[in-house]
Amino acid sequence: MQLRNRAAYGFLAPYLMIFAAFWIWPIISSFLMSFQNTRVNPWVFSFGANWGRLFNDPAFYNALKNTMIILIIQVPVMITLATVMAVLLNSPLLRARGLFRFAFFAPIVVGEVAYAAVFRLMFNLDFGVINKLLNSVGIASISWFADAPAAMALLIIAVTWRWAGYNAILILAGLQSIPGDVYEAATLDRVGKARQFIYITLPLLKPIILFCVILSIIGSMQLFTEPFLITNRGGPGGGTETLGLFLYRQGFTSLNFGYASAIAYTMAALAILISLLNLWVGRDEK
Amino acid sequence: MKSQSRSTLVRSLALHGALIPLAIIWLFPLWMMFVFATMPDYGIFSPQIELLPSTHFLENFSNLQADTDFIRALMISIGVAIVYTVLSVLLTSMAGWALARYLFVGKSLVIAIILGTITLPYFVVVIPQFIMVAREFKMANTWIALIVPPLFNSLGVLFMRQAFSMMPAELFDAARVEGVKEWQIFLRIALPLARPTMAALAIILFLASWNNYLWPLLINSRPGMLTAPVALGTLIGLTKVSWGGIMAGAVMLTAPILIIFILLQRHFIAGIAAGAIK
Amino acid sequence: MSFKFLGATALVAALGMGSATALAQPTEITIWSWDIAASSLKASLEGFNKQFPDIKVNVQDLGNHQVFDKTLAACAAGGDGLPDVVTIENYKAEIFWNRFPDCFANLKDLGYTSEIQAKFPDFKRTELEAGDVPYAMPWDSGPVAVFYRRDYYEKAGVDPKSITTWDDFIAAGKKIAAANPSVVMAQADFNGDSEWFRMISNEQGCGFFSADGQTIAINQPACIATLEKIKQMKDAGTLTAANWDEKVQANTAGTVASQLYGGWYEGTIRTNSPKLAGKWGVYLMPSLAPNGAHAANVGGSSLAISNGSQNKKAAWTYLNYVLGTDEGQITMLKSFGLVPSLLSAEKQPFVSEPQSYWGGQAIWADILGTLPKVVASRGTAFQGDADGIYKATQTKYFAGGYPNAKAALDDAANQIASATGLPIAQ
Repeated sequence: MQLRNRAAYGFLAPYLMIFAAFWIWPIISSFLMSFQNTRVNPWVFSFGANWGRLFNDPAFYNALKNTMIILIIQVPVMITLATVMAVLLNSPLLRARGLFRFAFFAPIVVGEVAYAAVFRLMFNLDFGVINKLLNSVGIASISWFADAPAAMALLIIAVTWRWAGYNAILILAGLQSIPGDVYEAATLDRVGKARQFIYITLPLLKPIILFCVILSIIGSMQLFTEPFLITNRGGPGGGTETLGLFLYRQGFTSLNFGYASAIAYTMAALAILISLLNLWVGRDEK
Repeated sequence: MKSQSRSTLVRSLALHGALIPLAIIWLFPLWMMFVFATMPDYGIFSPQIELLPSTHFLENFSNLQADTDFIRALMISIGVAIVYTVLSVLLTSMAGWALARYLFVGKSLVIAIILGTITLPYFVVVIPQFIMVAREFKMANTWIALIVPPLFNSLGVLFMRQAFSMMPAELFDAARVEGVKEWQIFLRIALPLARPTMAALAIILFLASWNNYLWPLLINSRPGMLTAPVALGTLIGLTKVSWGGIMAGAVMLTAPILIIFILLQRHFIAGIAAGAIK
Repeated sequence: MSFKFLGATALVAALGMGSATALAQPTEITIWSWDIAASSLKASLEGFNKQFPDIKVNVQDLGNHQVFDKTLAACAAGGDGLPDVVTIENYKAEIFWNRFPDCFANLKDLGYTSEIQAKFPDFKRTELEAGDVPYAMPWDSGPVAVFYRRDYYEKAGVDPKSITTWDDFIAAGKKIAAANPSVVMAQADFNGDSEWFRMISNEQGCGFFSADGQTIAINQPACIATLEKIKQMKDAGTLTAANWDEKVQANTAGTVASQLYGGWYEGTIRTNSPKLAGKWGVYLMPSLAPNGAHAANVGGSSLAISNGSQNKKAAWTYLNYVLGTDEGQITMLKSFGLVPSLLSAEKQPFVSEPQSYWGGQAIWADILGTLPKVVASRGTAFQGDADGIYKATQTKYFAGGYPNAKAALDDAANQIASATGLPIAQ
């Protein structure tokens, strides 16, 4: 390739302008803001106003804890389910493939507000269809919105419903890129299907599953709309307040932009840390 | 031979035995959305289990329209999503083209920065974006505020770059020899070839814009300038509100996109899957 | 043409002929409000438009949370996107004047004279004025009372007059629950609000912040006693958890015997449960000690005019009618139970009339009678922070996360101190 600065920058310019204005500058600005006391008018520089508070704030640890619970429970459950879906959908024996694909993939296109509304109704204490179904098999109604662990479970169910299909698509694409002759050789050697899956399929899928895990972690870390709308702004009593919601509350309800920026940077650091950790776990052992 | 076909049958039964209940569970919330949207509020809050649709959709929709100007909100959402998609596909294609096909000073730096921002949570930029757009530019409650800041999209650039870099170089070199200008090469040769990729990207971007919630929630507060998800979201949690109406709105938000999904499933899936395969 | 018109307006205003007559063409003003507050504003329009047919008022019900969030966001955006008039809850009001002194109009410039100011009690005005700038006009108060089901109390042989302490309330609750299967004594929104704490602590002269708003008071002895009593009531089954909607549903379904709220809850009960006419009554809130105070205030709102409004005069005309006249205030009291803070309205004959929905009880005389005894409490600009911290502390305390109420509130006080930078009162 030849060096063509003018043409290249011509094509890049509009994108880079947006990039600089709406990402690079905010990233810097947010960093600077995290060192300002924004509770007073006008704002003043203060090294400890936000960072000093953050690591002593039980509300921050509560949000961090909730986010971690979601990460630790929801991400593995969802990725396992997505893998199962992908493997089953990939089976040559499958009939009505289109219908099943629709069932699992359709939630991806449903907006957060729409599904939040449905889940609120379905899980309503006295009139929700879920509690009625539980009652009909002799299980007592669960107070999905007033009981913190139940609300957390509801959040995990909702997010899993919405995103499992997305991950299944990614994993399915990975499965379909595995050449068939790998299995033929194994079948000739009389290796059973289950063992083929464990010893051939899973290792080959490892990079893509890792990619799904990283994407899901970053996604779950930023969870906002679901706890905002489904569990009533992180209710009950902060029981489902995630980092994203905590940031929103500090930024846009208490109007403490500096503190919210410090929370945002903490989230970014965590996201990068967890991604690196995953990459390290998934590195090629050669 | 016989035992083989029997084992195939058993496996097929097991496969469908596992998939059918899973599919029913997965379809259930969508089904209930449609059911709720057709039920009056006393049906939604009735002591019986109601799993079949009723006939009150239009009534619910007019209740919704009385609670908030939802038709206007839908129009705004459609307009924003279309303009956003066109602009974003254009911008990311141009950037992807530059990164795929040119050698220039600072190229690796640009790529590194774009890659670096992928893992960065959106929350890092949302507050300064809000301050800048709303307070400094005084552009809250405008179309520009809804469309422009979300135009930055790093996955789209990488996606387009991938598509362009897989095209054979001879194609473009031949055109250059004939003296065709760079922007004409891009417009006349490269873009038409990248059409399937652009289609997949466009669908994903349209969906992202259509469902976008946090940014429109923050930046547009004037009731006449709300997008459909925000307008619907404002009703959730109000005390005197028609839940049938909310569900009718949810259906209006979901049905068009589900139809697009069914018609263009292949592109949709290709678009999502392409995110993973590098 | 437009110059001429402007000139004419100024002239008429200067002559003191009243602003409404100068409005040659119909003006439309928009108001953000919520629930029954919005409904009562709508109810006032008939009387208003008789006097001012040229001002069209468009009331939008956005829900309590969202009016606050959107107003804050709009003020942070420099005021763009605000309607002409915003409803602001008094205890959350100070954040607006504190952070955005230019977001709302100085009502003095529009005709809010000191004579009009004097028509409202001082405790209602402190949170609405910064220095000598009045940003909002007081609307209603929330003198607290117990709303109760006469039939359920009677069936259990409980005379509400005999309930003077919260311990009496607990004992009565046990009798009532025993006599009325599947009825709970009272409900509190433990998961989403702090209303019981705010009401009882205010009754006891305590609050999140001191009266001057300069120190944190949440761990003062009266607040600690309040939290202890609430936990006792919860443990005794007197209080069960229910949010706003669930309370309303329980009222209508007849599964609750009492609710503790500000006077404005009258309209919520009456309009949402019309079939229960004659079955509800009102008595004064119990106290912690037999000779303790029985008055508190919860809620209460005000109206403010945005600085960016193009129709400030028309907006002021409406404010002055709906909040500043007996007619406006009594209409809202009659229709939705919003308790006027306009002092003269309290002397209107309607206030001492028996109310048929309430079994012929003259409830307004009883409820309004407590107003002079209410201790002023201060929300400050940090109300949101303090409330969030209190709720989390309460949840943790109920779950056994603190050895006692003092430890819980000491911790809350420290957290509020680090969130606000204010000192803890000694």
